[in-house]
Amino acid sequence: MSDVMSNPGRGLQTQDARARRRHRAEVRFRAYGVMAIATGLILLVILLGTIVSNGTGAFRQAFVEIDVYLDPAKLDKKGNRDIADIKKVSTFGYAPLAQQALLAEIEARGIETPLRKAKEMKNLLSSSAAAQMRDLVIAQPEMIGQTVSFRLLASSRVDGYLKGRVMRENIAKDKNISVEQLDLTDALIQAGVITSGFNMAFITGSDASESRPEQAGIGVSMLGSLFMMVVVLVLSLPIGVAASIYLEEFAPKNRLTDLIEVNISNLAAVPSIVFGILGLAVFIQFAHLPQSAPLVGGLVLTLMTLPTVIISTRAALKAVPPSIRDAALGVGASKMQSVFHHVLPLAMPGILTGTILGLAQALGETAPLLLIGMVGYVATNYPGGLASGFLDPNSAMPAQIYEWAKRADPAFYERAWGGIMILLAFLLMMNIIAILLRRRFERRW
Amino acid sequence: MYDMNKQETAVTQKEIKFSARDVQVYYGDAHAIKDVSVELEDKTVTAFIGPSGCGKSSFLRCLNRMNDTIDICRVEGDIKLDGEDIYHKAVDPVQLRARVGMVFQKPNPFPKSIYDNVAYGPRIHGLARTKADLDEIVEKALRRGAIWDEVKDRLSAPGTGLSGGQQQRLCIARAVATEPEVLLMDEPCSALDPIATAQVEELIDELRKSYSLVIVTHSMQQAARVSQKTAFFHLGSLVEYGETAQIFTNPVDERTESYITGRIG
Repeated sequence: MSDVMSNPGRGLQTQDARARRRHRAEVRFRAYGVMAIATGLILLVILLGTIVSNGTGAFRQAFVEIDVYLDPAKLDKKGNRDIADIKKVSTFGYAPLAQQALLAEIEARGIETPLRKAKEMKNLLSSSAAAQMRDLVIAQPEMIGQTVSFRLLASSRVDGYLKGRVMRENIAKDKNISVEQLDLTDALIQAGVITSGFNMAFITGSDASESRPEQAGIGVSMLGSLFMMVVVLVLSLPIGVAASIYLEEFAPKNRLTDLIEVNISNLAAVPSIVFGILGLAVFIQFAHLPQSAPLVGGLVLTLMTLPTVIISTRAALKAVPPSIRDAALGVGASKMQSVFHHVLPLAMPGILTGTILGLAQALGETAPLLLIGMVGYVATNYPGGLASGFLDPNSAMPAQIYEWAKRADPAFYERAWGGIMILLAFLLMMNIIAILLRRRFERRW
Repeated sequence: MYDMNKQETAVTQKEIKFSARDVQVYYGDAHAIKDVSVELEDKTVTAFIGPSGCGKSSFLRCLNRMNDTIDICRVEGDIKLDGEDIYHKAVDPVQLRARVGMVFQKPNPFPKSIYDNVAYGPRIHGLARTKADLDEIVEKALRRGAIWDEVKDRLSAPGTGLSGGQQQRLCIARAVATEPEVLLMDEPCSALDPIATAQVEELIDELRKSYSLVIVTHSMQQAARVSQKTAFFHLGSLVEYGETAQIFTNPVDERTESYITGRIG
């Protein structure tokens, strides 16, 4: 100011060197900020783009639509339609029927192919196709002797061929598909026998063995994750909120509470696998809870989530202005009344957001589950009830994804990406719920 | 506005509400209040004046044990309300605070409706049996707080949506709703403009008929306007206590004179 006044020749509209330098520094700093955000956005787009482009394949599946004659001579040799006898026929009894039906379909449509034997159709059909037929027959034995239209799973090679994963030039050493079979596949697609459709079974189904990726689904492990989240929510919210309220509002400030505080902060930074081995030692080896059970997984994840919940709850409680506590105490409310009537409702949005973010963190956690055995081949069907949901062996979404990514067949790799898409969808949903709850409670009076 | 000579004769017959003897307050190692002994009269406005950090607010907060909420704070000495020691082990600070209400420096309505703000105290103390009782208590308190006419049509509106002066009167209404015997006010007008201040002061003068009031203030004019008794604190000690008129016109202590004439403070 005095500078300008002592130099009447320089007006306000001309910048001196100092101002220019300051101005340039500010512009530069803003540019760095924009660059940082742009980099972040580009990386995010690349990440999401990769996930979507790799994972969408999992949601489509090739099917073979054929009419199969359920030959009584093969399926019910005694002819008595006794369910016990029918069950004795394994999937090996059904597979030839499907293969013959496909061959008959090819001949009926006049498709030319060097493949003349039923056995040569094996690689086109999934090995679970026979299981599909057997399930139907066991459910409805009266179908034996009839010709039934089936929408059978195609093999993972045919499925991969439709998605561009399997190509003629790289199957030279592949025993599970040949060039002739791919030619035939082309013809069958033309004829409308092989079709591609939405793969509901991927979302609802269970894991499948290594040789039939086309059958694997994430549904059962999704349930496993759900049961774990129930355990985590039911335990970590009340324990975490109670601990935070005590520490923040009631506990005397002394060495002991300082120590507890430091330890809670440190626990939040402890690698999750440590909680896994703790869970293994305490819950499984000492308390003898069942292995691989969502109950144990939930307990371990609760341990992991608690520090997060406590830290965010305490931050939310701290953010409530002390004048509100004074006001309540001033009209003669007890400490507890002031906390429960005034402080807690005001801190609620923060507490809920923290808890849901803690849950989201727990949902994506894999490492501790490896140690308590909640990973591995769980191809069981859906749990029969609440108790079995908590206590029966199950997997969890991230553990299932990890399992698939480990397997050799590239078809499983595709499912792993698909699983990640579903997992991300869940995380997104939880974040949206957190935002909505926040809004709702903030408007409350 | 205020006739000093008339008041002087009037207040001397009143009975003692609070009596404090040799009160010491420590914050950790800091000795914040030293040997304060004072007797506060009923149905009287007593003003605590003094420079910042002299302990007047700390002493005020001893009177309803709000200092209990500060971990490092320690209070020694005797404080009696109607002859009962308020720091006795058997005293529940919650019951004490129901009898000794408090209004704070910054208006601090609950983020609830105007009605709920006032109704909260009576609710937790079980003063109303029916909804109609509660409505009556709320209306009476809001009338006493001289804010009824302004808010009667929007009792369900949030208390935080009012102007600063209205919020402070709402807080006073909230404090009187529990029918306290003493009302402590910690710089109730420091966040208000002159017009709102005048309204609150008028209200204080009105409330004097039913309550004993203690007001901490930085404004000597305010102390002179609203109080009958004045206590001057300096560096943690009670320097002088007496009739307001006497303190402001003929102080005994040199420090009091320096402060009220603006030489220190």
